[in-house]
Amino acid sequence: MPEMGFVQQLGIGALMTIKVAVLSYLLALAIGTAFALVTLRRRLVVGFIWQVYASIFTGVPSLLVAFLFFYAGSGIVASLASLVGLTVTVDISPFAAAVAALGMVYGAYLADLIRSAIQNVPPGQFEAAKVLLVPQPATWLLVILPQVLRLALPGMTNMWIVVMKDTALISLIGLKEIMAYAKLASGVTKEPFIYYVLASVFFLGMTWLTYFVSRRIESWSERGYKPVVKQEPAHAL
Amino acid sequence: MNAVTQIAVPSPVRRETPAAVAISIRKLNKFYGGFQALRDIDLEVGQGEIVILCGPSGSGKSSLIRCINHLEQHNSGTIRVNGTELTHKASDVAQVRRQLGMVFQGFNLFPHMTVLANCTFALRLALRLPAAEANDIAREYLARVNVQDQAAKYPSELSGGQQQRVAIARALCLKPSIMLFDEPTSALDPESVGSVLRIMEDLAATGITMVCVTHEMGFARRVADRCVFMEKGEIVEEGTSDRFFSAPSTARLKAFLQQVL
Repeated sequence: MPEMGFVQQLGIGALMTIKVAVLSYLLALAIGTAFALVTLRRRLVVGFIWQVYASIFTGVPSLLVAFLFFYAGSGIVASLASLVGLTVTVDISPFAAAVAALGMVYGAYLADLIRSAIQNVPPGQFEAAKVLLVPQPATWLLVILPQVLRLALPGMTNMWIVVMKDTALISLIGLKEIMAYAKLASGVTKEPFIYYVLASVFFLGMTWLTYFVSRRIESWSERGYKPVVKQEPAHAL
Repeated sequence: MNAVTQIAVPSPVRRETPAAVAISIRKLNKFYGGFQALRDIDLEVGQGEIVILCGPSGSGKSSLIRCINHLEQHNSGTIRVNGTELTHKASDVAQVRRQLGMVFQGFNLFPHMTVLANCTFALRLALRLPAAEANDIAREYLARVNVQDQAAKYPSELSGGQQQRVAIARALCLKPSIMLFDEPTSALDPESVGSVLRIMEDLAATGITMVCVTHEMGFARRVADRCVFMEKGEIVEEGTSDRFFSAPSTARLKAFLQQVL
């Protein structure tokens, strides 16, 4: 039987996992959307910055990025600050390093996803909005975004699951999330199976919850489209 | 060149001088990279006039109509719409577009909005009308194009002809003085074509100015005040629809008419 004290700790860890995953994903969405929008039109400087960013953060494993941020983060911030003439000393917490690493890595993936979704909105939609004199912000928000959402949702759902599962790796930089507590509990009780199974059940539960919610959102985003063949979302990785 | 001299230049083929000029195009050139899509186009459309543009594909008809509402930027020459010169300045573009309604070949309805929402969208966001007033206007125009019963449906639930009529209603909601049609029936099945053309004929009878790119020669003959034949980015021949169809003067138009009629 699992001991209640350890189970309680797993619960605290699970909350931390959710917190890191949600914040990382929001950061990734922000970075992804920003890069998607600025790289829509091919401009030399922006394109170059994006190439460098994408090759670093899709090329280096997310765990390594987290290590770099955690161990070298304060150095990076200090040297960046000294460029503009400031002296800054910051301690990078495992939490901040984890969110920054996952957010920046998956932001690179989301940028490609969101950009291709925008490019797949028929150009006639932009033209119709233009000739109807609809202001640009309203066009993006009310005409383009709903259609982008519909196109990008399946990929975004998968990405969310990947981000959530990747938080398990981040325990290695000392973040007290569910994986760290499962490891601790199995070390103390010498019953690794129970606690790792509990942790697995948590991730499974989160994944199923995601599928349930995403199907709801997807069918909402598909309002107005003829029901095509209903496809189950493909499992992530 | 100033406005007065431009408008005063008489068009040699016009059968009568219209009361006022709605669209005036002078020496218009349009390039896509190295390809010249429009070559020194001169065209005048009087208020209330129905002008049909026809010609083989790639002849520049669509480019011309898209230049008029600045969906394509012209490279040189002038376009005036109800006296406003269309420059590349946002305020000029907005003022010109305010006069124009546009109907596309592919309808371009917003797929995630109901038919009614499609029509009220611009009224509410561009003209900032309250919802109730926008709904009234939209319903009025939807009734005029005979799709009032479909107001709560999504575009994908409608036939092609109904969708195009919704698109016409959506454009009319903004009460434009000039309607531009870019091959409005080319994407439709033969049965739907008739319903859209009937609506356009009704519209033509209201005195609105219309410029229409179409391959429907029967429609052109019935409705047009004037037909313009384009080929390779140039206006080859223009004339009243009677003369255009019964006594074409250029060999190229003769050959074209032989093929399409």
